[in-house]
Amino acid sequence: MHENIVFLAPPVLSCIISAGILGYYGNHILSRGIIFIDIAVAQVAALGTMIGLLLGYAEESMNVQLISYVFTILVLLLFSLIRVRKQRLPREAIIGIFYCIALGMALLLAEKIPGGSNFITKTITGNILWVTWGKVLHCTILFAVIGTVLFIFEKRIRNLTLNQDRAGEKPLSERWPDLLFYVTFGIVIVKTVPIQGIFLVFILLIAPAAIAGLLVSSWQKRIFWSWIIGAAGSVMGISLSFMLNISNGPAIVCILGLSTLIIAFLKLLMKKRPAKEKL
Amino acid sequence: MATIEFLLTPFIACLLLILINVYFGIHVIKREIIFIDIALAQIAALGSAVAMVVFVSLHPEIAHDHEHHNVFSYLFSLAFITMAALIFTFLKHSKITIPLEAIIGITYAIATTGTVIVLDKGAGGDIHVHDMLIGSILWISWHQVTKLFIIVLLVGLFHLIFRHKFRQISDRSSPDTMTVKNPYLWDFLFYLTFGLVVIEAVNVAGILTIFAFLILPASVSILLSRDWKRRLLTGWGIGLFVVVTGLYLSLKMDVPCSPVIIVLLAAVLTVTLLAYRLSGKKRSKAI
Repeated sequence: MHENIVFLAPPVLSCIISAGILGYYGNHILSRGIIFIDIAVAQVAALGTMIGLLLGYAEESMNVQLISYVFTILVLLLFSLIRVRKQRLPREAIIGIFYCIALGMALLLAEKIPGGSNFITKTITGNILWVTWGKVLHCTILFAVIGTVLFIFEKRIRNLTLNQDRAGEKPLSERWPDLLFYVTFGIVIVKTVPIQGIFLVFILLIAPAAIAGLLVSSWQKRIFWSWIIGAAGSVMGISLSFMLNISNGPAIVCILGLSTLIIAFLKLLMKKRPAKEKL
Repeated sequence: MATIEFLLTPFIACLLLILINVYFGIHVIKREIIFIDIALAQIAALGSAVAMVVFVSLHPEIAHDHEHHNVFSYLFSLAFITMAALIFTFLKHSKITIPLEAIIGITYAIATTGTVIVLDKGAGGDIHVHDMLIGSILWISWHQVTKLFIIVLLVGLFHLIFRHKFRQISDRSSPDTMTVKNPYLWDFLFYLTFGLVVIEAVNVAGILTIFAFLILPASVSILLSRDWKRRLLTGWGIGLFVVVTGLYLSLKMDVPCSPVIIVLLAAVLTVTLLAYRLSGKKRSKAI
């Protein structure tokens, strides 16, 4: 029992830490209606890594990571700047287009790199069991710094989030918190996806924020509860995966995802009754 | 001559896919449920994974009987798609304060990881992510083309007959402000018919190709024109052009055709976006 706890401590801790920062971003992302941005960003980062590999650098080298960051940040800058005044194309559609192009190009490149298609599979799954204490510490420090920066500018970012529809009218100089938001988000995604896999990051972003959004309404409470729910879901998922002997990432995803759907349906039932009585 | 014969089946298949996907694409962008196609495809895949496990445990002796297995897994996929359609229909409600796209994303994540768990536990077959993404449209058989044609014809006719209802529910996003009777029923039928198309289309061309057919031409047509008829015609025109060039290029340069078509579609979109921005600037200057 003791050995198990020692073995499982780093993955559990890394999930709890990521749940905090991802829960914060999740609330913003839900309010902005750009749900799939994380999957698109992760795909762009993977494309950057593949281009690095194609240029002949080793997989975990500085150069490859640098190319990956540059790619991600460029695309996010582009994304935050694309604002047609009367938005005929929803922003989610633009995300879909980015995703599609990045994945299409990655597939073309995969033919050129030995083991290229393996690489595409690897980005999808990830494996949190192999996370080391060093990586956990590294992530904690990075997220603490980003968290502090976000906390300082939280009011301005929230302002832009809640006024998304009119953000296009503002001059570029007033939209710098948006840039800050997207760039830090890109860094977090590039850091977390190789450890946890696209789907675990995606569900930690969306599901806790969705549950919190359904249950409480004030902004601070939503962020607080997102973290709690994300952390609880991770702990439950990992212990369940251990008991049933299934992979841990998928277990967390299924637990958090299914609870969101169940809570949504419960809310539908609960709220319907008083409405009918009024009629 | 032989090459033309060889390319005839993929060409027809691409045309059918463009025809139905551009139409659905405009709906999907209007409703802001962009990623629904990927989610439905994954749910269908979960269905056939579950079917495989159930089938193998029921009849271990005829596990390789493909004829029976195909029907069985299709029925399971259909059942899962119907369930997903029900979930999407019910959870699009003014009481649910989160966007429907979030629900779609969550179902997508559950379906993908669920497939991994099921295959892990049951048959132990590995999933060929690469094949699932871009398919192999060049190797499509006449039998598959006929099946695709029947599905596209049925769903297309259904949508043609009830086009006004489908348009109305897509133009107004909230079902509470609808003039159509039974908005929930029409929402459900929309998801269900789309699911039918997705099962067949993804089998033929892979998830990513279908996603590109769905989103890219429709985005261009939404930027270029305003009413439904013109949008459909623009989308189809772009699709036809790209399919012809894409198949030709992939044959000449000996590369897989789906990524080429996707990159070409992306190029058309980029050019349109640039032109749109430039003309927009001119217009605002003139004013």
